[in-house]
Amino acid sequence: MKYNRTELDGNIGFTSVIDEKFKTACLAVRFITELSEDKVSSNLMGIDTITYSNSKIKTFSELNEKLSSLYGASLASFSAKRGDVQVLGISSSWLLNRYAIDGEDIENEMLSLIRDTVFSPNVNDGKFDEESFRITKKELLDRIEAEINSKREYAVTQALKTAFKGEPAENTSYGTKETAEAVTPETAYSSYINLLKTAPVEIHYIAPQENPAILEMFRENFSKIERIPKKVLFENASPLKNEVVTESEEFDVRQCKMVLNFKTDCENIYAVKMLNKIWGETPVSKLFMNVREKLSLCYYCSSRIINAKGTIMVDVGVERKNIEKAKEEIIHQLDEIRKGNITDEEIESALKSIDNNLSAVGDSPSSYSAWYFECFCNGEIITPQEKIEKYKAVVKEDIVRVANSLNLDSIYIMYDKESQE
Amino acid sequence: MEKKVITSQRTGDSCIYVKHKSGLDIYICEMEGFSSTEALFGTKYGSVNTMFKMRDDKEYTVVPEGIAHFLEHKLFENEDCDVFELYAKTGANGNAYTSFDRTCYLFSCSKNYQDSLRILLDFVQKPYFTKENVDKEQGIIGQEIQMTNDNPEWRVIFNMLRCMYHNHPVKIDIAGTIESIAKIDADLLYKCYNTFYNLNNMVLAIAGNVNADEVLSICDECLKECEDKGLETVFPEEPESIVQSEIYETQPVGTPIFHIGYKCRPCNGQERLTKSVALTMATALITDASSDIYQKLLKEEIINSTFGSEIFCGDGYFSVIFSGESTDPKKLRDSIISEVKRMSDEGVNEKDFQRIKKCMYGSLIRQLNNVDIIASMMLDAYMSGIEPYDVINTVSEMTSDTILEYVRTELDKDKLVMSVVEGAENV
Repeated sequence: MKYNRTELDGNIGFTSVIDEKFKTACLAVRFITELSEDKVSSNLMGIDTITYSNSKIKTFSELNEKLSSLYGASLASFSAKRGDVQVLGISSSWLLNRYAIDGEDIENEMLSLIRDTVFSPNVNDGKFDEESFRITKKELLDRIEAEINSKREYAVTQALKTAFKGEPAENTSYGTKETAEAVTPETAYSSYINLLKTAPVEIHYIAPQENPAILEMFRENFSKIERIPKKVLFENASPLKNEVVTESEEFDVRQCKMVLNFKTDCENIYAVKMLNKIWGETPVSKLFMNVREKLSLCYYCSSRIINAKGTIMVDVGVERKNIEKAKEEIIHQLDEIRKGNITDEEIESALKSIDNNLSAVGDSPSSYSAWYFECFCNGEIITPQEKIEKYKAVVKEDIVRVANSLNLDSIYIMYDKESQE
Repeated sequence: MEKKVITSQRTGDSCIYVKHKSGLDIYICEMEGFSSTEALFGTKYGSVNTMFKMRDDKEYTVVPEGIAHFLEHKLFENEDCDVFELYAKTGANGNAYTSFDRTCYLFSCSKNYQDSLRILLDFVQKPYFTKENVDKEQGIIGQEIQMTNDNPEWRVIFNMLRCMYHNHPVKIDIAGTIESIAKIDADLLYKCYNTFYNLNNMVLAIAGNVNADEVLSICDECLKECEDKGLETVFPEEPESIVQSEIYETQPVGTPIFHIGYKCRPCNGQERLTKSVALTMATALITDASSDIYQKLLKEEIINSTFGSEIFCGDGYFSVIFSGESTDPKKLRDSIISEVKRMSDEGVNEKDFQRIKKCMYGSLIRQLNNVDIIASMMLDAYMSGIEPYDVINTVSEMTSDTILEYVRTELDKDKLVMSVVEGAENV
C-alpha cells in the first residue's frame, strides 16, 4: 500500500491510497461545513442535484445510461453528520480498464464525468435545472417521511434532538420537511456554490494504480474558484442539562423503544471507547449479558458513542411493563463499572475487539477512505497499529473515571398505544 | 478426500473445493493482500424445513414454525459458557443468521483466524439444550418477533408471500410466532439438530487471509465424521395459482411501501441460476433509471429511487419481486403489467440488453474485492447446487432470446400479487 497526501491551495486535501489488490478505483469528494438548520437541506439538495445531471449530460436518464454502459460504475451523493458538522459530497467507483470486455477506457470516461459533476453542473440562469432539482426534492421529502419506517432509528433520531437541543447537532444530516420544502433551484445552487467556495474539501482516490490526471483535474478546476475556506469545529462536547429531560411519543407499535443519553466531559477518547465496549457495544458487554441474556428483557440493548459530542447513547427495544426494569439494569451496570467491577478479561476482550476492527482497515476502498478522513478530523495521520497502541495504554482506573464522569442527560421513549389502554 | 481448484475463466480468480472425509463440503479462497478472514459454517436448514425424515424413519416429523431460528439462538450457548465469550478471547466478531433455506454461523476477524475457526467448528457440533435455557430464550425471541412485527419492510414481504403461496412454508415468518415458539422444547431441538446438523448436509466457506492447508488441518482436528443418514425434506403440494391478488396493512410509515411479485415455477441447480439471471436482467430493464417506464413513473411521482427488483427463490419456490415506495401502488402494478406485455410482444431491445449485461457483469467483478462477499458466494453456490463463479459465466453467456423466453413463460399477470403497507392516513 502506498499513501500520499497533497495539499492544494484553498484548504483542499488530496489523499491517494494505492493498493494493488483491488479490482476497482474509488473516489470520494467530501465538503465539510457547519451543520445548521437553515442550510442543511439546501446543502444536501445541491449535492444531490449535481449527481442527477450536468452541463454535458442533461438528464438523469442519460446519466444513468452512461454509468450502466461503463459496467455499472457508481456516482452517488451522501450527507452525514459528525457532531456539529455536516460532511457531504459525492462518491464514485468503477471497474479497472483491464476488465472491460469491449476495451473501453472506463477510468478516463469517469474522470470526465466526475469533473463535469463537480465543476460543471446543469444550470440555467443561476439555478439548477428544474427537472433534476424536482427529482432531488421529492427524494428528500420521501426520505424524511420514511423516518418512521425504522422504529429503532426513528427513536435514536428523536433522542439526539433531545440530547442536543439548541446545538447544531440537534439537526439530522438532511433537515426537516419544512427546511426541505423551503429549498428552491436557486437556493440549492447557491448553497452548492457556497460549498465550492467556502467548505474545506477532502478528496480521496483509492485504486490499484496511480493516475496523476485525477489530482491535476482537481487542481486545475479548483484553481478557477476563489476559495475562502471557513474553519469548522470537529469536537464540541455537549453541555449536561440541569435536570434529566424525558420526551415521549405514542405510536401504533408492538414494542416500545427507550433511548438514554449520557454525557461526559472526559477528554481521554480512548478510555471512553473502552468503556463503551465494556458497557454495551459488544455481545459480551455488560448490557448484552445482563439486560438481554440474564433478564431476557429484550432482543437488543446496546450502547454507541457520539464522539464529537462527548455522549454515549444506550438504546433498547422492550415491552412497556419492562421499561423501568430495563432502565434500572442499564444504570446498575454502569454503577458496576463506576465501582471498578471490571475484570481483566473484559478489558482484554475490549482491546481484542478494537484490534480486530482496526486491523481490517485496508480490506476495502471505503475502509481506507473512512480511516484517513477520521485521521483528518482528529488532526493526526496515524496508522491503525499506532492507534491500537493508544488503546493499550488505557488502564482500568481510566475506564472507572470515565464511568464516574458519565451523567444521564435525557431520555426518549416510544410507547405503544395498545398496552396503555 | 476429494480436492479441486475452481477457477473463473473470465477473471482468473480461483478457490479450492474439498469434500472432507467427515462428509463436510469445504470451500477456501486464499486472498493475497487482505488482512481479514470471513468464515461461514452453514446447514441446509431454514424456516421452510418444517417436515422431514431420515432414511430409517417410518413417519415424517412435523415441527413448530420458527424452530430453525430458535435452534440457531440456542447453539450459541454451550454447557460451560456463551459462545460470544469464546470469540471475545480471539477478538473475532461472531454472529449467525437463519433464512428461509439455511442457517449459518459466521465470524470475521483480522488476526488469529485459526483459533476462531476452531471455536466455530467446535460449538456448532456441540449442542446443549435444557429446559431452563430454552425457557429463557422465549422472552428474547418474543421481543425479536415483536420488533419484526413493527418493521413494515418485513411485514410487506410476508404478507405478499401469504398471498402467493397456499401451502409452502416459505409463507411463514422465519422466527415463527409467539404461540409457535411456545411449543418448542429441548427434545424437539435435539431432534432437529440431529437431523439437519449432519456434516453431509453442511458446508464451510472461508475466504481472506487464510492458508488452505492450515484450514484443512484444523478441519481434520475438529470435525467428527458423520454417517449420511439419508435426510429427506418434503414440502406440501403447492398449486401454481396464487391465493389472493392483493393485501393491505396499516402501520406507521411514510410513503406506502409495496411488494409486487410474480409467482413462477420453482426449479433447481443451473436451471434456477439461468432463470434467475434472465429474469434479473428482464426486471432490470424495467427498474433501470434509463428505461422509459422508470422515467414516466418518476415524472408522475409514482416511484422514487427505492424502486427495485429481485429474484426470490429456493426449494419449491421462485418469484420475481418489484419493491419500493409508491404513492400509487395500483397504478404502478398496472404499469408493470403493461411493460411486461410490451416486452413479451415486441421483444427485448438489444442495445439496452447489452448495457444491462455489462452493468451486471461489472457489479459481479466489483464484488470480488470483498472478503465477506466471496465467502457468501461460495456458500450460496453450495446451497444452490452450483459452483462458485458460475454466476459470472451465466451472466456473460446470457442472450436476449433467453430473457424473452422466460418473460413469456414465467411472468403471468394471473399469478401477480401486490402487498402494500401504508399509514392510517392513506387508508
